[in-house]
Amino acid sequence: MATATQTVRAESFRLAGLRRLFGSQEAVLLGVILLLFVVVGGINPRFLAERNLESILQGNAYVAVAAIGMSMVIVSGNIDISVGSLIGVLATVSGSLAVAGAPIIVSWLMPIGISVLVMLIIGFMVAYLRIPSIVVTLGMLSILKGGLISATGGKWISNLPPGYNLAQNELLGVPLPIYFMVGLTAGAAVWMRYSAAGRAIYAVGGNAEAARLSGISRERTLMMVFAIHGMFVGIAAILFATQLSVIQSTVPPNLELSIITASVVGGVSILGGTGTVIGSTLAAVLIAAIGSSLIFVGISPYWLRAVQGTLILLTVLADLLRRRRRTARR
Amino acid sequence: MSLANDTARTRAAELLRGLLFRHEGILLGILAAALIVLALQSDRFLTVDNLLNQGRLMAEIGLVALPMTFIIITGGIDLSVGSIMGLCVIVVGYSWKNLGLPLEAAILVTLATGTAAGFINGWFITHVKVPPLIMTLATLALYRGLAEGISQARSVRGYPEWFFVFGQGDLLGVPTQLWILLVAIVVAWIVLARTTFGRALYAIGHNEVAARFSGLPVDGYKLAIYTFSGFMAGLAGFIFVSRVSTTRSDMGTGLELDVIAAVVLGGTSIFGGVGTIAGTTIGFVLIQLLKNGLALTGVKGDATIVVIGTVLILSILITNFVQARRAGER
Amino acid sequence: MQQGSAGEAAGIASATGGPPVLELTDISKSFPGVQALKGVRFDMRAGEVHALLGENGAGKSTLIKIVSGVHRPDQGSIRIDGQEATFASPLEAQRAGIATIYQELLLFPELTVAENIFMGHAPRRRLGAIDWPLMRAQARALLASLDIHDLDVNQVVGTLSVGNRQRVEIAKALSQNARILIMDEPTAALTERDVERLFAIVRLLRARGVGIVYISHRLEEIFLLADRVTVFRDGEYVATKRVPETDRDDLIQMMVGRRIDALFPKFEAPIGGPVLELREVVRKPTTHGVGFTLRAGEILGLAGLVGSGRSELAHVIFGITPADSGEIRLGGQPVSIRNPAQAKRLGIAYVPEDRGTQGLVRPMPLKENVSLAVLARVAKHAFIDRAAEAALAAASIRKFGIRASGIGQIVNKLSGGNQQKVVLSKWLASGPKVLILDEPTRGIDVGAKAEIHRLMSELAQQGMGILMISSELTEIMGMSDRILVMREGRIVAEFARAAATQEAIAAAMMSSTVPMALAS
Repeated sequence: MATATQTVRAESFRLAGLRRLFGSQEAVLLGVILLLFVVVGGINPRFLAERNLESILQGNAYVAVAAIGMSMVIVSGNIDISVGSLIGVLATVSGSLAVAGAPIIVSWLMPIGISVLVMLIIGFMVAYLRIPSIVVTLGMLSILKGGLISATGGKWISNLPPGYNLAQNELLGVPLPIYFMVGLTAGAAVWMRYSAAGRAIYAVGGNAEAARLSGISRERTLMMVFAIHGMFVGIAAILFATQLSVIQSTVPPNLELSIITASVVGGVSILGGTGTVIGSTLAAVLIAAIGSSLIFVGISPYWLRAVQGTLILLTVLADLLRRRRRTARR
Repeated sequence: MSLANDTARTRAAELLRGLLFRHEGILLGILAAALIVLALQSDRFLTVDNLLNQGRLMAEIGLVALPMTFIIITGGIDLSVGSIMGLCVIVVGYSWKNLGLPLEAAILVTLATGTAAGFINGWFITHVKVPPLIMTLATLALYRGLAEGISQARSVRGYPEWFFVFGQGDLLGVPTQLWILLVAIVVAWIVLARTTFGRALYAIGHNEVAARFSGLPVDGYKLAIYTFSGFMAGLAGFIFVSRVSTTRSDMGTGLELDVIAAVVLGGTSIFGGVGTIAGTTIGFVLIQLLKNGLALTGVKGDATIVVIGTVLILSILITNFVQARRAGER
Repeated sequence: MQQGSAGEAAGIASATGGPPVLELTDISKSFPGVQALKGVRFDMRAGEVHALLGENGAGKSTLIKIVSGVHRPDQGSIRIDGQEATFASPLEAQRAGIATIYQELLLFPELTVAENIFMGHAPRRRLGAIDWPLMRAQARALLASLDIHDLDVNQVVGTLSVGNRQRVEIAKALSQNARILIMDEPTAALTERDVERLFAIVRLLRARGVGIVYISHRLEEIFLLADRVTVFRDGEYVATKRVPETDRDDLIQMMVGRRIDALFPKFEAPIGGPVLELREVVRKPTTHGVGFTLRAGEILGLAGLVGSGRSELAHVIFGITPADSGEIRLGGQPVSIRNPAQAKRLGIAYVPEDRGTQGLVRPMPLKENVSLAVLARVAKHAFIDRAAEAALAAASIRKFGIRASGIGQIVNKLSGGNQQKVVLSKWLASGPKVLILDEPTRGIDVGAKAEIHRLMSELAQQGMGILMISSELTEIMGMSDRILVMREGRIVAEFARAAATQEAIAAAMMSSTVPMALAS
């Protein structure tokens, strides 16, 4: 009799696991992406051309990479709205270094170091000085944005040395940025799911007090999160900078919004404690695909921002509903 | 008898302590110092012309900073004010030029749009319980997106002369919008400091649960302040168009930074429960003076936002520190 | 009978061999404004269930916070196995083998059972990565050792019932090799079945040599489970007795220090017509078809375990969580109460359970708290009349004997009793016909308690209908004209003042076989 009950229980556990897989945000996103391809491809088959798909992925891989770090920040219960400006500054720094004759590798790696440093400063203010991250990064955003304009005087950087454009390279026919995107996502996903440090981020974001009583330091975990976020932002900036033959002096408009949208739509709950980087990468791909499809379907690309805003709203509402249904079931 | 004396004595002591040591007192001191420094830096500064012109420029920030004070006192935030302003700027042009409405009606439609945009924010925040940070981040994208989509990046010009009275005209020698701002400041001050509504806002900011349990109409009041924020953003948008004579969809970008910086600088705590209209007023006056001073010494427009960002972070640090100390000695 | 003898045997065994596992001597601790503990002592032996008993504010919570390393004592010593120990942090206490299960469970709702059990000390592989299969296996083994076989270690904790979550907490404590397990009101939010399972686990742990500090105000549980019981009163140590050598009255006497009737100044009040009637009121998931009548001048006591739905019922009546269905009548008229503002207008007042977070705005001064529910009354056309507000505050201070430095004092600085008086004065200013009091004297010194009880009696005499929710049986029995007992969202028993006994009330609170004792 005991074994029969145990078998039934084991089965229901497995079913619950399956349900969790299919109901997950990642699965939903995958489904929506496929749906989008089918629908838009039906309206305009040129959307599905390999070159177009490749350019969607290659051109937006850096958003997905930045969204990895952003997802970690949001899981820990914070947010960073300065990331767009930071990428702009880093790209300019990178280009300037290259043009000034520094070794190419330095012009790639130095900005990553700067990015980590900036994020450590932000992390310090959030973790130890207890200033809400929204305010710190709001201030930092303007410092960076204004600093960039005054430093460059609005000039674009051209005459980049040969070999600089990392993002334009291909390996086995697949553009390098795509390797970065997939590889970094996979690595980060594994780290966050299986390592103690990664789980600590979820703990601090879920219940900081309980985390402390389990011996996890909120402050040290947050510093780590921001530092890692800085690393990903740096890599994203290099991918961004080395894409074209010029580096613009302005930040891409609302880049931080695209990155945050990718994370939020990817399932990272803004209330902290849940979400995965696989979701954010899928969402970044989805958003990029939507942006591209607008052109192919004949809708003005000026509506992209409105779409992003709606997507955030819908995802947040869905997340709230999910949480409420879960607590009600108890 | 002795209790009445107690009451009078407590009131007197409170007043005195308030004047000397409160945040506003310190700010006034800084304001005076700033005026002196800037006057010494440039002889163009202390002219009536320049000061009135500064008043003209700061009206938009000032108008939006008033409801933002209410919102931050309740522990919320509204990041979408810049986008609401941008949307309303577009709406005025669109309803007039594209929809053919008489300009008076277009202005009303604009104000209604701002009010509706704020109402939507407030409704989702109070009835769906979306955290204000997320909601207004989403609408920051959505409303800006709508502005971009509706305008398709085309600008509208050619307004009639009377339209410019609000933004470029004077009344008894003082710029029109400054009168509007003055009235708004007085009304906002009275509401916050003297009415039951204002008292309720402070209670909500300190302890929303207790406010609810005391039978205060918390949701209704919160809905009101977000709606008011939208209305003021719309009003600011209308005045802005009237001032610069044209409409573009990127107007108002970054307004939220200036406004939040002004409110926080003015002594309003980002955590809620503390803040005054007097402080906010000194806050945005200071920020405008800062911008003016920088411009007069040759610093270009974009670089000033670096300073504003720094001011924001510094003022939070200082406020945190002071409040922590005061909480300790209380 | 077996549990008693097993416990006794273990107690005697370790009494004769070796020092107590835990020994606290002459512990004192004070916080700004209150002396929580004055020279108390406490000791634990291995394999014993030692109950800690005392009214609210007696110092139990402070003591366990000291034992678990959250607070440092001002004076006194802590000894583990005879060795002096100091804990600079909860982590150090944990490493010394002390684990605490709090009422507000400290789990991560988004993580799995296994992760929660091993958070912070998961088994690692060589490179520092978590050894997931091993962790899951160890989690399963731990749960099995507690005779828990129906919990999936991969399940997300947020989806578990309260009973299951508590079991996860206990497994977590065991995973840290706890030798002393502190349980703070563990049955407060549990269903009956979960309580039985908890008792089984406690007995299992005791047999294994774990020492369990069991804090509860439920005398019945203490007699069912504990080997020894220590009583604190007003921050002082009263006595430690072996459970078989004491009884209910003895414990109450030690807890309260005086005879029951002397504590409660209850006057006879004329009972009038019904002021509040409920019929089949439902609010999922906490209130299932509640019905009762409250009359003018009556004090209706509402007893029940924590989690029985009493506060939730009050929230339904007061409009914080409006009813899904059922009828509520005020003064005979059916009303629909959708929010607290409405309830207030209809003449209902609710003094909440948690005065700090629900009843007061702590950073605000006394006068602003007193006027908070009646802002319209101290205002002329929405403009606050400072003089009227000050007058109201001054009158309240006089009437309720609030000890404060003035109407401008920030209420955070007031003692618990005075804070409660502020909340009371706030609600009485609204002139209610129905007053709901939720744990009105919790955490209050005895003097203030008596004052509040006297106040209640006076209000009843003036014709107010009072619904009093309380977890203190002595208070319920001392103050109520009638007593209702709630369990799992339903009213399961009713007693008239004369016919009520603590045993009957307690029995109704816990078991399911008590017949309805009707009012005489």
